Amino acid sequence: MLLNFDRLGWWKYVLLAITVLTAAFLLLPILFIAALSFGSSQWLIFPPPGWTWRWYAELLSDPQWLASAWTSFKIASIVTVLSVLLGLVTSFGLVRGKFMFRDALKALFLTPMILPVVVFAVALYAFFLRIGLGGTLVGFVLSHLVLALPFSILSITGALEGFDKSIEDAAVLCGASPLEAKIRVTLPAISHGLFSAAVFSFLTSWDEVVVAIFMASPTLQTLPVKVWATLRQDLTPVVAAASTLLILLTVMLMTLAATVRKVLKK
Amino acid sequence: MSTYIDVADEAAPARKAARPTGFAQVAPALAFVAIFFIFPVIALLLRSVMEPAFGFGNYAELLGSETYLKIFGNTFIVSGVVTVLSLLIGFPVAWTLAIMPARWSSVVFAILLLSMWTNLLARTYAWMVLLQRTGLINKVLIGMGLIDKPLALVNNLTGVTIGMTYIMLPFIILPLHGVIKKIDPAVLQAAALCGASRLQCLTRILIPLAAPGMMAGALMVFVMSLGYYVTPSLLGGTANMMLAELIAQFVQSLVNWGMGGAAAFVLLVVTLTLYAVQLRLFRVQSTGGR
Repeated sequence: MLLNFDRLGWWKYVLLAITVLTAAFLLLPILFIAALSFGSSQWLIFPPPGWTWRWYAELLSDPQWLASAWTSFKIASIVTVLSVLLGLVTSFGLVRGKFMFRDALKALFLTPMILPVVVFAVALYAFFLRIGLGGTLVGFVLSHLVLALPFSILSITGALEGFDKSIEDAAVLCGASPLEAKIRVTLPAISHGLFSAAVFSFLTSWDEVVVAIFMASPTLQTLPVKVWATLRQDLTPVVAAASTLLILLTVMLMTLAATVRKVLKK
Repeated sequence: MSTYIDVADEAAPARKAARPTGFAQVAPALAFVAIFFIFPVIALLLRSVMEPAFGFGNYAELLGSETYLKIFGNTFIVSGVVTVLSLLIGFPVAWTLAIMPARWSSVVFAILLLSMWTNLLARTYAWMVLLQRTGLINKVLIGMGLIDKPLALVNNLTGVTIGMTYIMLPFIILPLHGVIKKIDPAVLQAAALCGASRLQCLTRILIPLAAPGMMAGALMVFVMSLGYYVTPSLLGGTANMMLAELIAQFVQSLVNWGMGGAAAFVLLVVTLTLYAVQLRLFRVQSTGGR
């Protein structure tokens, strides 16, 4: 009765109202920021007195914003490639290998997901200060890779576990070399896992802020660090424009991911 | 033909036990995680008992000072309230999602995922603007005649609680939805046939059956809230610090690695303990925390 939507009686309307309000609550800030980024008021008055592209123009004409966006993109791209490659090799070992502590190792690879990021950020900050990687591109990539790798391993082991290895064996028996069989049979079959791994890795790095705050130097910072630093001074609408661009990229990637997943699963 | 491979595998069980396979493929990632994750964290924790002098002085100072205890208090109270609020809002939403027509629920799911993956800073910035004295929330409340003067909703723990609840909702709704979806409707039908009222069905069957999922989700939200840094520091202001910000401040402004390491160790131990409890009790997978 309670699990049958049509037989809930007036409870149905209460539940629906709570759900609609919650969905609105979740959506409101995102739409609000997008609207503000076009609002003409410097003081973020809502509804704004008029509409303007001014904040985007300011954003795009400021070399600091552009440089940080480019840094973010570069780091996220490198992290994505490394994370998928390392995740792929590791997943083969984790799914098909037979060695001691295999399950414990898998759990270990996922711990960066549950450890409070601030602890990791501070620890890595100390380490990089000693070995001179703080404020460098390499430092950013390595630190973001630690956070992206668990998503990659989860996506790819998931796909690999669902793949029947006897198909790969059959290709070998038909004359393919083991490597050829992996590349031409197994990789296409788990491509949806590889794709999720890439999207999650990219977004993890692109949106990462806590570690980046500690990694950043005056000359090298990511877009979220620039947003963070600006926000500590004032709530300028330029940040709304930057935030909207961050959101837009996320929405685009998620839509792409959903579409590709549908196509690949067919 | 495939038996050929199996036979080859089983022909030498002793050798198989002696020569593990696949470890070489895991080794690079293991080395990477050891150098750039495990080692730095352990080194930080070691500094908490090494600097400035060997011993537990940092911990004594951390747990003996009223200022720091107040920060621990803030952290646990805000995390607790956020957990309760997420559960109170999240349960009915997860329940509705589990039973509403798929056409509508997919819209709500899309909103949940969008909010989860939207940049944390962007969402926090939105709340900074929405909650300020001249912000939209205050204006609407005054316009409706509910209040005369604008409420102080930001730069205090109220703001942190609102912002954090907003961020945690998807993390409790998604797993709870899975739990409720798995409950067999026949159980509730049987109860109804035996004469149970709707309220009795809810309090004696649905909630108890969903309780393990609610506990697991609540623990996860609580643990994630304890370690959050960005949202509390932007919405709370400097006077209402939480644990993660304290750690950052020890390290960044005060350059006190001993105290920073000690505070980090406290956060780490609480986090891992609660996760261990969760794994033991519920065996539910969990994700992410910033």
